[in-house]
Amino acid sequence: MKAGKQSFYVDNPVYIRSAYTIVGPKEGESNFDGCFDLVLKNDLWGEKSFEKAESKMHREAIRGAVCLAGLNFDEIDMMLAGDLLNEISASSLAMRYFQVPFVGLYNACSTFSESILLGSALIDAGCARTVTCSTSSHFASAERQYRYPLELGNQRTPTSQWTVTGAGCTVLTANRPTREEDKRARESFEEKLTAMRTENMSNGVCGSEKEQEKGSEEANGKKIKHSNISEGAAKSAKTPFSFRKKEDDRVAPQCDKFYERTRLAKITGGTFGKVVDLGIEDESNMGGAMAPAAADTFFAHLEDTKSSPSDYDAIFTGDLGRFGKEAFEYILSKEGIKLCGTYTDCGASYFKPEQKTFQGGSGAGCVNTVFNGYILKKLENGTLRKVLVLATGALLNKDTPLQKETIPGISHAFVVETEDF
Amino acid sequence: MNMLSKQEYVDFVKEKSPKSPMWRSMLAAFFVGGLICCVGEGVSDLLKLIFPAMTEEDVATWTTVVMIFAGSFLTAIGVYDKLGHFAGGGSIIPITGFANSVVSPAVEYNREGVFFGVCAKMFVIAGPIIVFGIVASVIVGIIGLFL
Repeated sequence: MKAGKQSFYVDNPVYIRSAYTIVGPKEGESNFDGCFDLVLKNDLWGEKSFEKAESKMHREAIRGAVCLAGLNFDEIDMMLAGDLLNEISASSLAMRYFQVPFVGLYNACSTFSESILLGSALIDAGCARTVTCSTSSHFASAERQYRYPLELGNQRTPTSQWTVTGAGCTVLTANRPTREEDKRARESFEEKLTAMRTENMSNGVCGSEKEQEKGSEEANGKKIKHSNISEGAAKSAKTPFSFRKKEDDRVAPQCDKFYERTRLAKITGGTFGKVVDLGIEDESNMGGAMAPAAADTFFAHLEDTKSSPSDYDAIFTGDLGRFGKEAFEYILSKEGIKLCGTYTDCGASYFKPEQKTFQGGSGAGCVNTVFNGYILKKLENGTLRKVLVLATGALLNKDTPLQKETIPGISHAFVVETEDF
Repeated sequence: MNMLSKQEYVDFVKEKSPKSPMWRSMLAAFFVGGLICCVGEGVSDLLKLIFPAMTEEDVATWTTVVMIFAGSFLTAIGVYDKLGHFAGGGSIIPITGFANSVVSPAVEYNREGVFFGVCAKMFVIAGPIIVFGIVASVIVGIIGLFL
């Protein structure tokens, strides 16, 4: 149901069935250490390029979330996905592996909340029963696309942010899951994930690529017999002298999949943001460019839903960074709104100071991994009851600042509430 | 969001955004840049010592070659970018920095193949320097012709 000018409420419940996150090594040591489902030891993850690695992370995040939900891919009606690479290639390439309708989205770093909003709207309208919402970003591939080569000896400006290497997927569904279902899905997770990969390969989806990934000795002999990615124990036992140390590329799952879920999270509404541009030209100061957009959406949300900041247990912005957070609070203070203690910026609080990221994390994987890894767990164990998430994005490419364009920002907000599980 | 004018916000950002630590950057650049130049001098002295017959001009050329090699090598093994993070201009201005700016894209775009990857993208950063260098030398050459 539409509310005000930009917002809507969900009439039929949209539940968050499961979430799965994969992050790189640096993120694994960040402030959110222990929140993620899988932490990679090497951000190439056995691939030949960072773009391929990002796509693989995206793909595996979707698989993980679907398995964790205890669903099969034929039960997924639609996949909403996006990332930061040119023509959202990480998502598109990942989607080759799934026989599910795919809707590609791009709103820079706010793609995650865009996908959640659209997913909820689709479910609410009855166009779909179950959708996946996923985004990814990778430090090395983003750096290469938007900035300079990794090995170039330049200095990063103090206003710059660090693109988070991470992918995450949330499964939204109209069916209310029961406790038993949830427990069963989590128990059979590993088994199911392995089975799903094997099945995918025997279907011949991208067979040639899969063969490449396999150790050569296996590809010669028995073709596509067992999963290449089920690696680890099975593979090392078979080929003790394998030079492709696949099992070294990932560490054991970090968070406990069986964490206590006493509450069930659901999306109850949201606000679509406008493009806001207050004339910031410096492309290394994206926090400053995005803060007005976040504030604009925030005001619109409060007005449309007739709520006040105190209605929320916590308010999260996406990746404004430390300075962007300051700018956001400044704009709010101009309108006479003060957020005390309930406001956090995912990007600013992502990395530890000694990780030298200046303003903190950014990228489509930033707010995604924080939401799926941290906020959702807090909601599900009852620490938080009602949360507003404003993911923010800076809409620029490499050429627009050179053509003397200012940087427009955008922000979409969604509201998550919980009910007894 | 009517309380805040565009100009007011731009001014706020300009004033409040974090600035580079000027003194620290300059000192680091000064010392690292000076150190690289000292190494260059050392290489030149060594060359003179090993090849006493070499002319002054040849020594200068070979010193440049050695320094370019050193810059490229340190880039390839992933050391130069760390030096650059610390020293900034100090390691960009010397010829080793130029080598770094050519080799780093070459390494980066290796995955797109030799032709459109390495060869085409190699001069993404150093291109303007080369263009300006050549144009300037042509202008100076023409002036020199008439003097």
